[in-house]
Amino acid sequence: MRLEIKNITKKFKQKTAVNDFSMVIDASECVGLIGPNGAGKSTLIQIIADILNADKGEILLDGQKISSMRNQIGYLPQYPNFFSWMTAFETLSFMGTLSGIAKNELQKEIPVLLEKVGLGNEAHSHVGTFSGGMKQRLGIAQALLHKPALMIMDEPVSALDPIGRREVLDLLKEIKQETTVLISTHILSDAEEICERFVMIKNGHKIEDATKSELLKRHQESAIFLMIRKADSQWLTMIEHLPYVKKIEGCGDGFKIHVENLETDANRLIQHGLDSKVMFTKFEVGIQDNLEEIFLELVV
Amino acid sequence: MSAFIALSKKEVQQMAREFKIFWLPIVFILLGLTQPIMMYFLPVILQSAGGIEGIIIDPTMAKPVGQEVLASTLNSQFDQLGIIILVVATMSIIQGEKANGMMAFILTRPVSISSYLNSKIIIHYILAVICIALGYAVSYGYSAYLFTSVPMTQAMWALAFYCVWLLFIITFVAMMSTFFNSPAFIALISIVSLLCCRFIAGLHPLIDVVNPASNSMYATNILMSGDVGSWVGINIVVTLLLVVLMIVTMQSFIEKKKF
Repeated sequence: MRLEIKNITKKFKQKTAVNDFSMVIDASECVGLIGPNGAGKSTLIQIIADILNADKGEILLDGQKISSMRNQIGYLPQYPNFFSWMTAFETLSFMGTLSGIAKNELQKEIPVLLEKVGLGNEAHSHVGTFSGGMKQRLGIAQALLHKPALMIMDEPVSALDPIGRREVLDLLKEIKQETTVLISTHILSDAEEICERFVMIKNGHKIEDATKSELLKRHQESAIFLMIRKADSQWLTMIEHLPYVKKIEGCGDGFKIHVENLETDANRLIQHGLDSKVMFTKFEVGIQDNLEEIFLELVV
Repeated sequence: MSAFIALSKKEVQQMAREFKIFWLPIVFILLGLTQPIMMYFLPVILQSAGGIEGIIIDPTMAKPVGQEVLASTLNSQFDQLGIIILVVATMSIIQGEKANGMMAFILTRPVSISSYLNSKIIIHYILAVICIALGYAVSYGYSAYLFTSVPMTQAMWALAFYCVWLLFIITFVAMMSTFFNSPAFIALISIVSLLCCRFIAGLHPLIDVVNPASNSMYATNILMSGDVGSWVGINIVVTLLLVVLMIVTMQSFIEKKKF
């Protein structure tokens, strides 16, 4: 399923939550929608799930309007809320019937699915007694039940404790093998773990759309990180005056040497060091920010 | 269609788990009971409560007939306390699921808004009809026992008219529940408007034609005189049209996603 989001704009009174947002998600891609709180992630997700109407623009799933394709979409709200008086089994059976799944098929599918999300033993407990993580997993089961081609998940792991997070993330890794997935989150490490592509949103605008490796490459610094023995520290004052060394800064236990051309200058620098009988304990070419830093750089 | 059935089944289950299916009929049975007993024992109560100095209770006073008792069950129990109880019992019919996000969630499935709304209105209407019928039946029995018996057909016609008014009540509360977010406000505005409708019934024939509460008045009239005005048919049609109009309004309100 190919999801096309075309020029979506949504205003709430004066505030523009989503502003002229466009993107395309191809089949079996796993995309992370990342942005700080209040960036418009949830609004966008809700528009895609056909809960909110966009003021402008349209959303197409395989070239067709999203409202006619509801059965192809599995949606997990940020805080999945179920009827607390239903059991997990009843909840899935209810949602499944609404999706038009036959009863005998539900009888077969639901236990398997509950087992898969780790609620096999809780099938006949009331949802009201469930913890946040269990509700989240039931929400995922509900979104998977009708075998959608596209899964939309609004902050699936943000509200969970580390154990629940791990379980849900592992589950998501399994899901994305078969399904197109769109996940919104403000926790980068989660997205990093499951998504290949990141779309960053800030104040309703799309500010970045790239794969992980592209992002890292784009934000690579031309600097060398090195660690040397204490005894050799005077070498640093020597290289400070070299023409290709732009700046030296302390960084943890080592030093960051900013150079002009990463590859050639790295060779020259290491040669210079060896000639000066310097003992390197660590020498790293090209310092990569982690995604967290890139994210902060982009949104702040 | 299967979605409609699933939603209706869920409504019934929810009513059972919330015990609404038990307490609401009991309340209406008690309401139906009150009127005949009150009317029967009123002279005794007045006497034993003292303070009858200067008041003479005419021993030859004509005992009210069963019809009168049944009519006053409808218009002084069901149409007052009954409406208030019904409104309170149905006020969060849609607002509740709107507030906790269940409505939006359910509508992400291939479920039409009309089957969502209709399942709610129909199930709550059926419960209301059952409650009123039970209360009415008890009142009928006691009137027959303590006063005179009422012909069955007359009583059934009255109940049928009352049920038209009841449909308006449930749909109106559902509409308020769709529009507003505060249960207290929904209850207040529903009770005030419905009671106002009931009070102005019978004021002017022209108003009566468009006033859904006239159906309740007709029910009383059938019991008291066995006769209804000539505008009955039109009034029923107008009431049903109003109900349809309200459902369409709710539907477009939800469709525009203003919840």
